[in-house]
Amino acid sequence: MKPFQHVNASTTDEAASLLHKSRGKAKLIAGGTDLLGILTDDILPAYPRTLVNLKTIPGLDSIKEDSKGLRIGALAKLSDIAGHPVIKDRYPMIARAAGSVAMPQVRNMGTIGGNLCQDNRCWYYRYPNHLGGRLICLRKGGTICYTLTRDNRLDSIFGGPEGCFAVCPSDIATSLVAMGATVTTTRRAVALQDFFTPSPGTILDADEILTEIQVPRPREGSRSAYLKFRLRKSIDFAMVNVACVLTVEGGLCREASIVLGAVAPTPWRAKGAEDVLRGRLVDDAAAEEAGQIALANATPLTMNKYKVAIARVLVKRAILASA
Amino acid sequence: MKQRTSRRPTVNLVINGNPQVLEVGVEVQPWHTLNYTLREVLSLKGTKVGCSHGGCGSCTVLREGKPILSCTTLTIECNGASIMTIEGLRDTSVMTAGGMRGTTTGNLHPLQQAFIDNYAFECGMCTSGMILSAEALLNSNPDPTEDDIKEALSGNLCRCGVYPNIVKAVHEAAKVKKND
Ligand SMILES: Cc1cc2nc3c(=O)[nH]c(=O)nc-3n(C[C@@H](O)[C@@H](O)[C@H](O)COP(=O)(O)OP(=O)(O)OC[C@H]3O[C@@H](n4cnc5c(N)ncnc54)[C@H](O)[C@@H]3O)c2cc1C
Ligand code: FES
Ligand code: FES
Repeated sequence: MKPFQHVNASTTDEAASLLHKSRGKAKLIAGGTDLLGILTDDILPAYPRTLVNLKTIPGLDSIKEDSKGLRIGALAKLSDIAGHPVIKDRYPMIARAAGSVAMPQVRNMGTIGGNLCQDNRCWYYRYPNHLGGRLICLRKGGTICYTLTRDNRLDSIFGGPEGCFAVCPSDIATSLVAMGATVTTTRRAVALQDFFTPSPGTILDADEILTEIQVPRPREGSRSAYLKFRLRKSIDFAMVNVACVLTVEGGLCREASIVLGAVAPTPWRAKGAEDVLRGRLVDDAAAEEAGQIALANATPLTMNKYKVAIARVLVKRAILASA
Repeated sequence: MKQRTSRRPTVNLVINGNPQVLEVGVEVQPWHTLNYTLREVLSLKGTKVGCSHGGCGSCTVLREGKPILSCTTLTIECNGASIMTIEGLRDTSVMTAGGMRGTTTGNLHPLQQAFIDNYAFECGMCTSGMILSAEALLNSNPDPTEDDIKEALSGNLCRCGVYPNIVKAVHEAAKVKKND
């Protein structure tokens, strides 16, 4: 890695002020599992002068539950979330999503804040500088998104509103958006679904820090399922993931929340599928139809039609698993 | 350990039970990974480096008993941490009798022995990481099922594909450790 300075922050205010004063030359580090790969490969034209360590801020890794719901500090580790008794018991989908990230070692290091703020995994965007030079793609201020004319098997099947077709890689985002989570930053509080943008990925300003994630208590009687499809059962990112929360009363679906991940630049809400389930008996036919509707508007690229088929089946299975 | 006279900040580590004080700007730079420090500064070459991107597990070490990747960990962020590498697994108890009295036994750890007995490696590139992930598992779960073992080692790639023997070795080491 090329040199940088390193500062341990003791409060979020201090970290924010360091970012502010650096005028874009400082970067936050949480678990480092995403950032250090980026710095090793030197993929971005701007290399940070300073890393500001968030792990030294006391209390930012807390996990608490009150009458409204769950509050997870941005620095909570994925392994602590996956193994937390209250989360496993009352918010099992979040534990499953956290437990599906990468592999045990990465979960022992990576944080939930870093997971939501992680950069995308497009292999053109990530192309190492030391192997013939980084690629200045659209997302880095260049003129083209390489996925359009080259290998796009992992990219968006729901378009690229800003011209970049890289997908949001976060597993936890999918489950949290389906649960109606909100987040607090040093500057604002927003619904998690509005936190993500196609490019650069989040609404965060250069000197803004994600501090907490809030998850409302699941409705009485609701059930959820989180499914992830990947090539290897460990280490790999999702090719598609689906989070589904259903409230079924008297055999009929009262409420449905269905979100797909790794299919679009931001977590993708399957509104049509949710609508078709409401008021219906959740059986095989309804789940099948919801899967069809969820993918009806897909616009796959030249090499990723297979993702449409996977997503359709995953939506169906997630619905049946939470009915 | 030589006396430190300068006022440079230090990174204090306990590596395999031995305290290490590393001066920032001398032995450690802010951008050094723990993997680099272990291998190139402390000459503990048992910790391997494969992908250096957090994707293979060959650089696994234990921090406070939990497996982490030394290639994506900054040494400067390990101040105060206790790190276990493969070198730390050997038996360090001292012989009290016989001609070798006073020296450590150097006996292999049950996992190391079981890996040898079960041919649980070919090239050996993944072995340190595999054994450390397994050690963390056995410390928290002395009687793991096959699925527990596979899950605990799922972040360690073996490009030689020795997985079945590795699972056997961990089972066997679990038995040996329990009977100890
Ligand atoms: C081999 C491998 C496999 C992986 N597989 C998966 C997977 O299957 N699913 C998945 O979801 N992820 C996966 N990941 C990505 C993994 O890095 C994240 O899941 C992890 O949670 C990132 O957290 P971190 O604390 O390490 O982030 P860091 O690397 O410390 O930070 C990531 C980015 O977020 C910023 N940041 C961190 N915290 C904050 C904050 N509080 N406020 C504002 N900005 C912040 C940093 O500046 C940086 O740009 C994988 C990574 C690897 C290396
Ligand atoms: S070398 Fe660290 S994970 Fe591959
Ligand atoms: S023995 Fe060669 S990588 Fe596992």
